[in-house]
Amino acid sequence: MGLLSIIRKIKRKEKEMRILMVGLDNSGKTTIVLKINGEDTSVISPTLGFNIKTITYQKYTLNIWDVGGQKTIRSYWRNYFEQTDGLIWVVDSSDLRRLDDCKMELDNLLKEERLSGASLLIFANKQDIKGALTPAEIAKVLNLEAMDKTRHWKIVGCSAYTGEGLLEGFDWLVQDIASRIYMLE
Amino acid sequence: MEGEADRSDASADASALRKKHLAMLERLSNRHQSRPDKPDPPPASSSSSSFESTSSFLSLFGESRRSIESRLAQCRLADPSLLKLHFDEISASIADLEKLVAESSYYLPSYEVRSSLKTISDLKQALDTLSSELIPKKKFSFKNKPARKEPTAPSLKGADAENCDSMPAAKGGSLAVAVPDSPGFRNRANEVLAKDVRGLEVGEFTLSDLESCEVRLIGCARALFVHRLRNCRVYAGPVTGSVLIEEAENCVFLLASHQIRIHNAKASDFYLRVRSRPIIEDCSGVRFAPYRLHYRGIERDLEDAGLGEEAGNWSKVDDFKWLRAAQSPNWSVLPEDERIETVDISDLSA
Repeated sequence: MGLLSIIRKIKRKEKEMRILMVGLDNSGKTTIVLKINGEDTSVISPTLGFNIKTITYQKYTLNIWDVGGQKTIRSYWRNYFEQTDGLIWVVDSSDLRRLDDCKMELDNLLKEERLSGASLLIFANKQDIKGALTPAEIAKVLNLEAMDKTRHWKIVGCSAYTGEGLLEGFDWLVQDIASRIYMLE
Repeated sequence: MEGEADRSDASADASALRKKHLAMLERLSNRHQSRPDKPDPPPASSSSSSFESTSSFLSLFGESRRSIESRLAQCRLADPSLLKLHFDEISASIADLEKLVAESSYYLPSYEVRSSLKTISDLKQALDTLSSELIPKKKFSFKNKPARKEPTAPSLKGADAENCDSMPAAKGGSLAVAVPDSPGFRNRANEVLAKDVRGLEVGEFTLSDLESCEVRLIGCARALFVHRLRNCRVYAGPVTGSVLIEEAENCVFLLASHQIRIHNAKASDFYLRVRSRPIIEDCSGVRFAPYRLHYRGIERDLEDAGLGEEAGNWSKVDDFKWLRAAQSPNWSVLPEDERIETVDISDLSA
């Protein structure tokens, strides 16, 4: 029995999914996690290190790893790649100046072999801010259409501030992972 | 009897051992022979044979390297339409070369491995440079294409999709010129820049490339982006979302916000009221003090932004470049006798 099938069996029993959440600093990762978990989002310090949240979503248990996005600690992202089922890339849609940085970091991430099997959800966050780019515009800037054809991905506009779009994104991600891990035997 | 039994046991053991020993020797010699580059493996000649294969590796490596280099050189003269093909081929050859090094690395001296890998990375570099030079990447730019948006947006909510018709035209127009029309002040020097955003629905506000300016911002914005400021004073009302500052030198900031991130700032003072811990990264000589701004109605604005109370976070700075318990050398609390008086910007243009 291969390691992969063992992992699959264990995971199937517990219906667990490991989700890695990354993106530039100030994109709203921690706010998204707290909001989807129904917690207070009014006082959130920039993440120094990482947070882990275990939440029950539909019939699954999601382990969400929310890793800080400051430049200094981006090099540590790779410590969290192992066994990631779903990848969430969060974009500050109102931060036009750093979209190039955002694209570069995402491109680097997608080259990573350990993440090659992970479903990719892109949150075009901060849609509530006037002047923010739409998900379609973000998709164009990030050149998502050019992505490897084997990758399962979706971009969803959201606002961690109001909560809009978060469920739509998580629904897709969880369904996509479930259809890969639990149905595929 | 017992003695005999012992002896026969012992001899049985010995012969078993001998058999094992022989079998192992055989295995060893088989393994030796199966190595491709060393058909004849007497230990004495092993050093010379490894030398031989090193040199044959080097000549093979050198040959493919020269061939790749000459093909790279030819690319400049090649038909532009075939360039992509050329580059793909060259890239494949480089990959082959890399494979060769990997396969040979177990017998190569570590110096050769290192220098070969260096050569390969140089070749890759050359290929990258050349391909970006000869096949210019399509650079992303904002253009005014009103017709494209709606159909490609997979996740636009119904309500948004409806009013999108009017939005993209206005927004596209501003984006076509690299977004300078989103609210903010850019590329100014020696000016007083004032804006009252009360009653306006302001999303993000941008301050960028300012030199020796004074900025007065009355009212609440959702987000504030600050980029490349020198010798400036920034007096801003509450920001309900976050403030992001990159590259500031010899500046004074009066800011109130939910979150504040400061990158690459030098010799600047920050008077803050903030709901969470301010952070700095790649900063030096930055000092912190409590918020000291006044305009008529600021209490109300602060209250609305959830910043009515001074929580004392202005001094709880996290330095991402100093992850130790001891105080970071990059920032300090501004001594009370050096702090400015409360600044009143009620009269915007004064």
